Amino acid sequence: MSSSDGGHGAHPGPHLAHHFETIEKQDYAVRLGMWLFLGTEVLLFAGLFLGYTVYRHFYYEAFHEASRHLDLWAGTTNTIVLITSSLSVALAYHAIKQNKTKTCAGLLIFTILCALAFLCIKGIEYHHKFEEGALPGVFYHFSEVTAPGANLYYTVYFLSTGLHAFHVIIGMSILIWILARVLKGEFSSNNYVPVELGGLYWHLVDLVWIFLFPLLYLI
Amino acid sequence: MSQSSQLSTDNADKPVIPVVNYLNADRGVWSWLTTIDHKRIGVMYLVSVMFAFLLGGIFAMALRIELLTPGPTIMGANTYNRMFTLHGVVMIFLFMIPAIPGVFGNFMLPLMLGAKDVAFPKLNLLSLYLYWTGATLALSGMIMGGTDTGWTFYAPYSTTTPMTLFPVLLGIFILGFSSILTGLNFIVTIHTLRAPGMGWMRLQLFVWAIYATSIIQVLATPVIGLTVMLVGIEKVGHFGLFDPSRGGDPVLFQHMFWFYSHPAVYIMVLPAMGVVSDAISAFARKNIFGYKMIAYSSLGIAFVGFFAWGHHMFVSGQSSTDNGAFAVISMFVGVFTAIKVFNWVATLYRGSIAIKAPLIYICGFLFFVVFGGMTGIAVATVSLDVHWHDTYFVIAHFHFIMVGAVIMAFLIALHYWFPKMFGRMYHEGWAMVAAALIVLGFNATFIPQFLLGNAGMPRRYYIYPERFQALNVASTAGASLLAFGFVIILIYLIYALVRGAPAGDNPWDSRGYEWMTTSPPPKHNFDETPVITRDSHSYQEPGEEVEHVVI
Amino acid sequence: MAHEPAHTEAGKAEHHGHGAGRYWLVWAILLACTGLTVYTGHYHPNIAVALIIATFKASLVVLFFMHMTEAPGANRLVFSVSLVFTLVMMAGVFGDLLTRNPMSLPGAAPPSEFQPR
Repeated sequence: MSSSDGGHGAHPGPHLAHHFETIEKQDYAVRLGMWLFLGTEVLLFAGLFLGYTVYRHFYYEAFHEASRHLDLWAGTTNTIVLITSSLSVALAYHAIKQNKTKTCAGLLIFTILCALAFLCIKGIEYHHKFEEGALPGVFYHFSEVTAPGANLYYTVYFLSTGLHAFHVIIGMSILIWILARVLKGEFSSNNYVPVELGGLYWHLVDLVWIFLFPLLYLI
Repeated sequence: MSQSSQLSTDNADKPVIPVVNYLNADRGVWSWLTTIDHKRIGVMYLVSVMFAFLLGGIFAMALRIELLTPGPTIMGANTYNRMFTLHGVVMIFLFMIPAIPGVFGNFMLPLMLGAKDVAFPKLNLLSLYLYWTGATLALSGMIMGGTDTGWTFYAPYSTTTPMTLFPVLLGIFILGFSSILTGLNFIVTIHTLRAPGMGWMRLQLFVWAIYATSIIQVLATPVIGLTVMLVGIEKVGHFGLFDPSRGGDPVLFQHMFWFYSHPAVYIMVLPAMGVVSDAISAFARKNIFGYKMIAYSSLGIAFVGFFAWGHHMFVSGQSSTDNGAFAVISMFVGVFTAIKVFNWVATLYRGSIAIKAPLIYICGFLFFVVFGGMTGIAVATVSLDVHWHDTYFVIAHFHFIMVGAVIMAFLIALHYWFPKMFGRMYHEGWAMVAAALIVLGFNATFIPQFLLGNAGMPRRYYIYPERFQALNVASTAGASLLAFGFVIILIYLIYALVRGAPAGDNPWDSRGYEWMTTSPPPKHNFDETPVITRDSHSYQEPGEEVEHVVI
Repeated sequence: MAHEPAHTEAGKAEHHGHGAGRYWLVWAILLACTGLTVYTGHYHPNIAVALIIATFKASLVVLFFMHMTEAPGANRLVFSVSLVFTLVMMAGVFGDLLTRNPMSLPGAAPPSEFQPR
């Protein structure tokens, strides 16, 4: 039940769990835990990247053609949106380390709005695909790309961007939860590790997209 | 050296169970269901995995009874397919993967590190809940959905069968999550919660084994999660990822499936080897021979095991180049296992050996791990495997490791640590009887299967040519002995739980760190954080003679 | 909030070492790289170039936004190992696909020749 702050100032330190000796050890442990979890997420997406690599190799024509038909402006905008949201969440972490709670909250709100923007743009793209008939597998009836294996391109496209969008939603939820705690005044320069961890997850979401974007849109 | 002997002399007159311990510190079912005490979580895992083992065993007996006669005996073809699917999924995902880490890893790891709990106790409880959820989903899904794909879910059958697979696949996904979180928890615990003085080279070998296992759990399990997800999506959406008629490749499924499932077998066997490394020191009263080699070989198995998955695919259409590469790499794993076996035997050599039930299981383990491992090298040879693939030879090989090594080790752990966990001792006579039955029954069950497989009997078939009947009957007879042995164990352990003699804090006079606290341990493990000043399991100083102790 | 002892503020600034400026710089470089990759991808599509740029962008995010430059070795090892095993998986599968009998490769025969289920 001890706090790292010996009663100094208005901000208590983080809660030290009974089985950790010091706050430093606890912080090290939660960061290591988060990095391990990020490692598992990398391997989760690895399978889809594998599918992409395999089928792009065998159906290069189709992949090349189909990639031309994606909405490049949407993809580029989304990339910019995500990179900017990575910046804002890194700045939010920086702010809370300096006790700037309001700045932190504002930056988190901006990040969450970026996430929403990403999802909206993705939604518009998906809508286009439904209209064109550029759908995965058996539903494929896109007349403009007819090379063999085109349906597999869209399979990989929808699976990868779908799983990624799912992770955007998870990341957004985590950030909303962190934002709520920031607004309640729970975090300060004495206690900010959860903000860091939420940010780390969000950066992973950005990382996956940094690879998905060129592989899907620019080949 | 003085600490453990102090404990024994304190209880020299009459062993007593501590009045307040983790079992009775808080009362009521709700206190168990909401506990964050790793020991209680370990006990709940024990009950759960033993129930899963019972179910898996019943499915196995059903299969063996069906195989008593060449024609249909008690079930038809489709039921047989469902039965081996149930047996495989239950045994692998509900028992083998979670058992030793979930039960003994959870219970012993903090004790062995001198810690009060694992790094993330609430995550630990979540792992248990995920296990229950996933297990229920998978089991009910298979029973009600009629899953008949085998535990390997190969495409294109799994993606095109009309049977609903969704609950099973979701169940396995959730079980995978439970496994990942457990592994994550253990890695962080080992990195951050070691007591003062416990450097990496003072860790017990069980801890090293759990560490290596957890690395595999964290890295490999997400791939199976994705793979089962893709099968589920494929069934619903017909996207064609694994379907040749849409340009897909069914062998890609096998690559992704086995990328997890081969390291998965090391998730099963590494903790087993860790148990043996610890117990063998205690029952030979001798420092383990080659501590560093065993520790590093655990990491070696974990690492090399990731490169070997293609040996399950020798006849799938995989290229012969890859076949050869995977064959050679698979043989390297044998090197690490051999290192361990030599070190274990060297530990026994000139030790002060206590002939107790755990030692019978240790001897069984050594025999079975050698034969299972050698037949593993044999099936890793491509030119031999093209004949043995999908025959009973492969089944016998992996059951020698899964049952002969891993389940023996589970029983070693159960018997060695039973007094630690519950403070009571089981009946040694009955334990010996059961051990004999199990070792003999195991041999009788699976040695005939090597011969059957070599003679050409395929696996997963419910009927077979007449000439295979004698060996099949022998195998079923052995299975019955094996089952009988397990039932005896269940009976005397339950009896010991309620009426066993109090064991005292350290009935084996073992030098493992977990024996430094009372049996059963108090809720917070240690009243004060212990300071570690000696290596684990140090029974004699260098140059000192082994003290011959009769337990 | 206004009564933080002066020494802790200064101590904290020392501890952090850097200001927010580096984040903005990294952001600018990332945007520039995005522009570069769109340009090259659109006019001179080349998967190797795209991957190199993507890897460079990802490294910036990992090293600076995720503070990998200041992270303890264990965290770095964890992340690197997960990347390594991703590559191992790809290498194994590609080893198979590139050396297989051409008849058994995906796309070997036009899909119309198979009977869809």
